[in-house]
Formats: sequence, C-alpha cells, structure tokens
Amino acid sequence: MIGEISHFLSLSAVLLLSLILIFNLFFSLNKFHPNQLMLSMRLFNQACWLVFISFGMYVYLAISDDFSIAYIASHSNSQLPIFYKVTSIWSAHEGSMFLWIVFLTAWSILFVNSLDKNHPLKKLTLLMLSLIILGFLLFLLLTSNPFERILPFGAIEGADINPILQDPALAIHPPMLYLGYVGFVISFSFITAYLLKGDFELQWEQDIKNWSFVAWIFLTIGIALGSWWAYYELGWGGYWFWDPVENVALMPWLAATAFMHSLFASSKSNVLKTWTMFLGILIFVLSLFGAFIVRSGIIDSVHSFATDPERGLYLLSFSGLITLLALSIFAYRLPDLNSSKLVVSGSKESFLSMNNILMITGIFSIFLGVTYPLIIESMSGEKVSIGPPYYNTIFSPLILIAAIFIMISVDALWQRSMSLKALFISVTAPTLLSLLFLYLIWRATAVFSILAYIGIFSGFLILFSYLFRMINNFFNKKYINKGSAVAHIGLGLLFFAVSMNSILSYEKNLNLAPGESISVNESLQEFSFKDIRVFKASNHDVISADISFLHDGREISLSPQKRKYATRGQITSESAIHTSVLKDSYLTIGDQLENGSWTFSLKINYFIKWIWFSAALMVSGMLLTIFKKKVL
Amino acid sequence: MNQLLRFLIVILPILIVVFFAKVLLVDEEIKFANFEAKNFPAFQMNDLSGNPVKAESLDGIKLVNVWASWCVTCLVEHPFLTKLSKNDIEIIGLNYKDADSKANAWLQKHGNPYLFSIYDPRGDLAFDLGVTGAPESYLLINNKVIGHIQGEMNQIKWETAFLPLIEKAKQGS
Amino acid sequence: MKIKKLLVAIYFFSLSTPVFNQTVYEFEDSLQEKRFYELISEIRCPKCTSGSIASSDAPVSRDLKSKVYQLVLDGSTDEEIKQYVSERFGDFSDYRPPLKGFNYFLWFGPFIFLVLISAIFFIKRRI
Repeated sequence: MIGEISHFLSLSAVLLLSLILIFNLFFSLNKFHPNQLMLSMRLFNQACWLVFISFGMYVYLAISDDFSIAYIASHSNSQLPIFYKVTSIWSAHEGSMFLWIVFLTAWSILFVNSLDKNHPLKKLTLLMLSLIILGFLLFLLLTSNPFERILPFGAIEGADINPILQDPALAIHPPMLYLGYVGFVISFSFITAYLLKGDFELQWEQDIKNWSFVAWIFLTIGIALGSWWAYYELGWGGYWFWDPVENVALMPWLAATAFMHSLFASSKSNVLKTWTMFLGILIFVLSLFGAFIVRSGIIDSVHSFATDPERGLYLLSFSGLITLLALSIFAYRLPDLNSSKLVVSGSKESFLSMNNILMITGIFSIFLGVTYPLIIESMSGEKVSIGPPYYNTIFSPLILIAAIFIMISVDALWQRSMSLKALFISVTAPTLLSLLFLYLIWRATAVFSILAYIGIFSGFLILFSYLFRMINNFFNKKYINKGSAVAHIGLGLLFFAVSMNSILSYEKNLNLAPGESISVNESLQEFSFKDIRVFKASNHDVISADISFLHDGREISLSPQKRKYATRGQITSESAIHTSVLKDSYLTIGDQLENGSWTFSLKINYFIKWIWFSAALMVSGMLLTIFKKKVL
Repeated sequence: MNQLLRFLIVILPILIVVFFAKVLLVDEEIKFANFEAKNFPAFQMNDLSGNPVKAESLDGIKLVNVWASWCVTCLVEHPFLTKLSKNDIEIIGLNYKDADSKANAWLQKHGNPYLFSIYDPRGDLAFDLGVTGAPESYLLINNKVIGHIQGEMNQIKWETAFLPLIEKAKQGS
Repeated sequence: MKIKKLLVAIYFFSLSTPVFNQTVYEFEDSLQEKRFYELISEIRCPKCTSGSIASSDAPVSRDLKSKVYQLVLDGSTDEEIKQYVSERFGDFSDYRPPLKGFNYFLWFGPFIFLVLISAIFFIKRRI
C-alpha cells in the first residue's frame, strides 16, 4: 500500500511539473501575469515536497523489509543493520537515480526560494529546473521504476547486497558525490535563464557563487571518499585507477574548479564573463554525461550499472536536449556577450584565463581517453585499452604548467601586466629551492621516473612559493588570501604526495607456513606468520592471519582476513592496514597452497595519508573562502 | 572566427550525441565478428582418452569449446552444443584445468557433444590461445582462429557472430 | 584444532598453485623486480571489465602474472613481453596503446588541443 502511495506521489510530482511548463510556455506568449509566477512557485514547491515524501516513504519500505518491491528484494535483506538497509537504496541503478532526483529537487527548491520574488530571472530559472527534474522523474518512472512489485507474492527474503558495499564510507560516497554533481544544476539553470532573458545589465555571478562553492565542496569530498574507500577496501593498495567512472567524476570537478577561478575574474574585474558562463553550463553537462556513461553500460567499467539500451537512449536524448538548449542560447548570445575590455597579457586575468584553458585541456584529455576505445571500436572493430599510462603521461605536463601559473599568478595584478621584476622575484627562489630538493630526493632514493619527478617538482613549486608568501605575510604584513592559500597548498601537497607515492612504494609477495618467519631485505625483517584463526562473525565466516614484522626497525602487527558471506557465498579479502605519517603497510592474504603455507601480499605505500590530508586542505580552503566575510 | 566558434559550440554536442546513439544501438554480439585471424597455436597434447591429438584433426570448420567439470556455466550451454553437434557442426572440446577422471565422468553424466576433447590440465594450450576462463568458444577454419566468444555459447551469439563467418568460408571454398 | 583449520581453509579454497619459495616473485636484482611490477600494472586483465592483472585475482590473471615473471627472469625485454601477451590475448591487453595509425591522435590530441585553444584566446584576447 505504502509503495503504491509513494509511487503515486512521484507521479503527481510529474503532473505538477508538467503543469508548470504548460502554463508558462503557453502563457508566455501573452503578457506577463504577476500571479503566474506565484502560482508556478506554489506548484513547484508542492512538486518538490511530493518527491521528498515519496522518497521518505521508500526509505520506510526499505527499513520495514517490504520485499514485494522488486528493487528492495534484490538489494536488501532482513538481517542487515538499519543503516545498511537505507544505504542499500542507492547501491544500484533505480534507487541511486531516485536519490539523484531527490538531491536535484532539494538544491532546486532551496535556490529558487532564495531568489527574491521580483528577481528578473526567477521565472526562467524555475522553468529550467522544472524541465530538468521532470525529465529525470520520467526517466525514473518509465525506464527504471524502483516501485515495481514482485507479483503475485513478494519475495520472502531479500537477496542481500554485495558485502563489499556494506561499508560506511561507501554508503556516504554516492550521496556526497551526487550532491556535488547535481548542485551545479543551479549554475546551469541560472546562467541559461540569464542568456534566455537577454538582459545583459544583470549581475548573475553573486547569486550563484556560494551555491557553486558548496557544490564544489561536496563533489571534492565525494571523489575523495570514493578514492579512500577504494584504497582500504579493494585490496590492491591503489586509490585512483583512471577507471571511466572515476574519470567522469573528475571532468565536472575540473570544470567546477575552473569555473570558480573564472568567477573570481568575472566578478572582480568584469572580464572572462563568456568563459565563466560557458564553464558554468559545462559542469552540469559533464555531470549529465557522467550519468549517461555509468548508467547506459556503454563503457566497460567496474562501476557500470545498467546494460539496457533503452535507458541509455533516454538519458542520451534527454541530456542532449537540455545541453543543446543551453549551448544554443549561449552561442546565439555570444556576440552580445563579448566584453569591451581586452585582457592585458601578464595580468591576473590572463593567468586565470590560461588556467581555464589548462583545465579545459584536462577535461578534453579525459574525454578523449574515455571515448577513444569506443571510437576505434566503432570504426575498425579493434579494441584499445586506455588507463593510467595514458592519463599520467598527459597530465604530467599539464600539472607542471598549472604549478608554474600558480607560482607566478598569485602575485599578479588585476588589469595590469606584472612587472618583470615582480615576476623574477616570485619565480626564482621557489624554482631554485624546488630543483635543489628534487636533487636531494634523487640522491636519497636513487629512483628516477620522469613523470613522477615532474609531479614532485610541480608540488614543490607551489609549496615553496606559498612558503615565501607566508613569510612575507608574517614579517612584512603583505596580504595573503588565506582560503586560496590553504587550497593551493593542498593542491601542491597532492602533486607531491601522489608522485612520491609512485616512486617509493613497493610490493613484496611472500609465502609462509604458520609459525614461519623470514627476513626479506634490510627494511623488511622478521616477517612472522604468528597464527591463523578461524571464527564466525555476524553474517560471515572468517579466516584471520596474525602477522608481525619489522619495517625499518619498527614493529608492526597486522591481521588480514578472508571472509565468506553466508547469503551469497561470496569470498572477500579484508586487507589489514597500518598507517603512520610517512607510509602505510598494507597486507593482504592470498591463498593457501598445497603444502599448507599461505601467500601474502605486502605493499608499502608512501605518503598516502598526505593525499587524504591534501583533499582536506582543499576543502578547508574553500570553506575559509565561503565564510571569510562572515568571520570578518 | 566568432561565427565558427558559435557553430562549433552547437554542432559538437550534436555530433557527440549522434555518435553515442550509434554505439548504443549496435548489437554487442556483432562486435565479435571483427576479429583478426591468427593461427591455432602449435601443441602436443593428448585427448581425454589418452591418445595423442593430431594437428590435422583440427582442419576444416571446427568449433573449439573450452569447458571443465568444475565450470557451472558450461552446463548452461551444454544443451545448445548438443543441438549443434546433431546439426553437423563439428565441436572439439578443450578440457581446461581439470582432472581427466572428473572430466570423463562429467561427459558420461551429461552427454558428449565433442568429437574429442583435448586434455589441458595446466591450461598451457589455453594460455597460448588466449583463453580467459570457461566456457569460451573459438571458431576454427582451416586451422585459423577466426572467431572468439567469451562466456556461454547460445543461439543469439551463434547466429550473429559465428554463423556468418561459416557461411562466408563455405562460399569461399 | 589444526586439522579443523586446515579443513576450513580447504572449504574456502580449492586452488592448486605451484609452490614457490618464500618470496613469491624472487628476482636477481631490484631493477627486474621493478620492471615486473610495472609491467603487470600495464597489462590489462583479459577477463575483468577493467583493470590490470596486478589488481586482479582471476585465474587467467594469475597465469599471466606467472608468465610475465618467468619472461622477466628469462631476460625478455618489456617490448617482447607485451608482444607475447598481445599475441595471445589481443592488442587491448596493453594499457599503453602503441604509437601507430590513429593512436597518434590519442597521444598528441591533448597537446594539439591546448595549442589550438591557446591560439584562439591569444588572437581574440577578449572573452
């Protein structure tokens, strides 16, 4: 019963949103009716609430184990803790799409109601958002219905979710990510509304600035959580695989980062408006592209959800439609948008626009990498694989250029060229120090990898240039933008940590019987297989190996496990990780061999903690920027 | 310049959408039909009865099917293979990482659609062939591998991927 | 107790793998070792939807890792090893697409794109 009501509420939301569009598109041929906006707003708010209540009921259905609903039956189980019954809702396509729509609706209702009732763009924004939510609701209800029942009798018990998915980090990762992805519908709709209106005296940046910043934070956290989870759960000690689904999350992130920087230029100094508008539209377009790629099954990826061409075609058409709508109006208005000011070379604006170019190139590279196999396969049937070797090679020079720009541009001036003297000062010391330290690292590690060294050098450039700025700020009271400093230091740290990780980390595969102990090299001594224990846990059987070893003199004890889950009979490996400031020891059990010994895989991963810390820094920097005015 | 940019901004998304629509609509099975022919790897192995397998026995049009007694999906494709064998399709088994006693017992129990099965307990020939697991099927024409299907063989895959290749070969000769 | 543990372990797994000595992948020098780990991260798992053989436990991935290990010990070059794998599992086993034919667009595309966009901007200097 509740399932039917919930379903009905979603359908009613579809009706209301359609009404909004019909009324406004029909009546906008006549003159503007002052009440029409109010009516539309009421309808919109009601439609949004219907969606929220519908989803709330759905959560209730999941918690109360209603296994007559097909989706809940295939993804949940009565033995699951309540937390995981709820999170199982977004563990697959239909439910996660529902969540996506809920967030889309939430952002929209908050934003639209925050606009003053006389705001000239309110109506158009409302219409754009209604159209988008409507399109996705129809997608949900027509092709991916989470409300479908198993008739005539529901399932007695649910099928249980994949044990890998029973994890707190993985539970929050989709919500964070979606909040980020769909948050940029605000900038997309508002800018499109602005372009449709055609009144170029209006200011639009201020209205969407903070909304976009917050969305960026969610997107960053979402990506970082996914990476962190992959690291400690998947068992390979890797945190980023340039998998297509990771890539389609990175593209909007790059566009969003460029957008924010460009917003800075366009609101401070009235240039780069066209770039900023384009980026503001592009972010959501890339989110749509991401949703399409993941849910259409078109690309091989460990994440892929559906393999239904019907879903893919709907998403493709709908995304294509609203993309085309926004970009066409953008192209149409382009002549009117060009500002009369020239960008002065060597000015801050010029660096910001070069940054935009860099980010767009990054986005293009990822797009190329993701679609190239598809293109080649459709042309010649040949299959090509693109992965870390490609992306690392392409991104290395890009981040070097980015680092150089960050180093130079923070001291650049608005609308004036930087003097050569200023340039010289900002560049020399950090560059020399970076080269020096790079040399020291080479002497200390005796490892050389051109790509990694470019990354380390880039990281150093940023870190040292900020070091000097902080010194300058402390002694000479020279102004430093704290939020931007923290975020950029985070970025420099990221470049440094990722590159150091790639040259220093190593792996050892060992084979021992219980009770045995071996010493591998000077760093890795007395690797002892102390004991092997077998026991039962809540819904799985466990084999746990107790290991201790000396790494660089420090004693470390770890107990990696193999688990067999009751419901699906699935066997998973739980790696044991010991973290310290500089490195993680990452131990995984392999298999038992005929003679009773076991294989182990020990990975020593350097600077991993620094990677997570750098993400935290970037988010903190952004938070400082948002709240700066309030603090002052 | 401006005009060109405006044109591109609208045209590029359209082209991308059209491209993806095309990719979505192409039947996946047909993709397997484009396959670079390569020679069947040389081998010196016995069949499940212990007799050496002669290279000539792979001549002509043959379906090589990778199977094992531990392979659950092989049971799923088994009826279809039996049907094929009754329709004059010559199937040769490649018994992959299995014990010959278990393999023979499996054939006794479920029926034997194969002319014979090559016994490959360590997976050496399979490795040279590029086998990724069981079940898997290869289409051989005159000792050249011209088709490869991962996963179970069924009516759809047979008709869209292998049958056209067989027709083409028959016409050729 | 020990028997019970062994039985449970066998219940878990029934794989038979050749017995290695205590370091599973033992090399003559650290350069070989590094080459090995790099190679297996650049060879695609033929069975998985995506990922290298380094991050895969599929039987065919294990076989490939063993084979790459042997080939490295035998002195084959990286090129030869990748060639060996490609002959058996197809060209897409290599995560580093070779520079031939259309792949030039792939490897140089981003650079050309960067230059083009920069050129457009420098010419226009307004947007």
